[in-house]
Amino acid sequence: MLRALSSLYLFFSLCALLAAAFIYQTVFNTGVPVYGTPWFAALGLALAANIAACSLRRLKTAPAHFTLLHAGLVIIIAGAFATRFYRFEAKLPLHTGAASSKVYTQDASYELPFSVSLKDFRLEYYAEPRGRITVQENGAARVFDAREGETITTAGGATIKVLRVTRDFGLTAKNEVIDKSPYWHNPAVRLELLSGGKKKKLWFFGNFPGMHGQDLPYRVSYAVEGAEIKNFYSSILVKLSTGTEISAEVSVNTPLRYGGYTLYQTSYDPSDAGYSLLTVTMDRGVWVVYAGFSLLLLGIFLWLRK
Amino acid sequence: MAAQITFINAAFALSLAALGACAAGYVFKRRGTAAVAAWAMGLAWAALTTGLGLLWHALGRPPLSNQYESLLAMLWFIYPLSFYFSRRTGKPEMLPAGALAACLLFGAAALLDKTPRPLMPALRSNWLTIHVLACMAAYAAFAVAAVAAAWALAKKKTEVLADFLLRLAKTGFAFLTLGIITGSVWADTAWGAWWSWDPKETWSLLTWLGYAAALHLRKKGLRGAKFSIILLGCFALVLFTYFGVNFLLSGMHSYG
Repeated sequence: MLRALSSLYLFFSLCALLAAAFIYQTVFNTGVPVYGTPWFAALGLALAANIAACSLRRLKTAPAHFTLLHAGLVIIIAGAFATRFYRFEAKLPLHTGAASSKVYTQDASYELPFSVSLKDFRLEYYAEPRGRITVQENGAARVFDAREGETITTAGGATIKVLRVTRDFGLTAKNEVIDKSPYWHNPAVRLELLSGGKKKKLWFFGNFPGMHGQDLPYRVSYAVEGAEIKNFYSSILVKLSTGTEISAEVSVNTPLRYGGYTLYQTSYDPSDAGYSLLTVTMDRGVWVVYAGFSLLLLGIFLWLRK
Repeated sequence: MAAQITFINAAFALSLAALGACAAGYVFKRRGTAAVAAWAMGLAWAALTTGLGLLWHALGRPPLSNQYESLLAMLWFIYPLSFYFSRRTGKPEMLPAGALAACLLFGAAALLDKTPRPLMPALRSNWLTIHVLACMAAYAAFAVAAVAAAWALAKKKTEVLADFLLRLAKTGFAFLTLGIITGSVWADTAWGAWWSWDPKETWSLLTWLGYAAALHLRKKGLRGAKFSIILLGCFALVLFTYFGVNFLLSGMHSYG
């Protein structure tokens, strides 16, 4: 039994089957991924059994690197099964000032054993983005920086005054223009232009470049340059039922690990500066996998030195 | 931008010169050209190192964030690998193999988008350096192994290079293992899961299995031309993982 299970031919066959599964998934399958199916799990189990049987059979004679490397692989597959069956992942939507302990998966909601409140959400750009006004006149285009209060003189001698620059254009109930958020989500500029002897005050939007095309002697468009996001941060306060409070800042690549849970910064809403979406996971399997990774790396290192 | 481009182009030109010197030596049966080729390769490596250093300085971050930048990193590994293996094994064939691999990769790099862009939030991590360098070192070792295997097959000299192909495959396999592990640990920090069956993950696992099978086959006694052919087949997997996944499939690794 052990002999048959430890056969190298079994290993080659399993590699071929896994290759077939990966190619099928990549090329043909657009539905549910094959990786969640029972037969794919069976392939993983067979591979682990094959590697384990092979190492067991050679346990007494094999060099250390062989045992370490193969044991590492078996442990990684075991960890993968732990992740597959016990991993928990849900979304935690947060609004500034409000505490929440309710998380959502695709079809259910759960209560966390702690509550999280969003103290502040912050979006960081690499550099402050710049609003740029393009004026097209007689086939030639010229670009100007949009600075409030400045006057632009076009090549044809027309003057355009920059009245107001907004990063995230919005209207109040009283029709007053406001910045809905500090982020360049709906950038707009209000210009005073001279057209047909009449002064006109018009809004131009970065997201809708075709506006006011027909009724001007030249073409004006507005765009934002350099709006490259560096990172986004949520300052959160985690409150446990015992009364303990933990203050932390999570951002992309810097999650918060606490009590077996990990809180990741996942997303934000460009149109709502007070909203942040976190992902909450609990995965004990990952530590098994990391243990396997350590053995595998150690084994590989010793194998190279051989 | 200008200075680093000049150095990188110089590295390409010097690699072509090295390849030319090797070819001339072969055609005219002159031994002296080998020294010229070695010098040209050494200078190419120096030029590439300078170019990468300047690019790093200009970008203010390690130049490892897109396909073009990672390809330059992979190229950087080609030179020391070919020097090391030609010295250690006493087989001068390794240098032309390295020069040919370098020229092919520089050719590929010329076709790629070179526009530098700031790092997106998910890439802003120290893991970027070790993960990308480990993967590129692996791909470089596999590339030199593939070119050497093709050369050995063409010249029917597979026995001569057997030991050396094995060592290159082992080196690449070790680095690929490190690359996949560091990627997995990083993914657990950045994406929230240590494995997500992203196409790049899937295909790098398949590449890893391919080389694992090749190494086991060799252990079983497979030698000569057959092992060379298998190495070439495995390198096709590397090419698909590195280029094919980016151009043909969509996933979380869409930047490089």
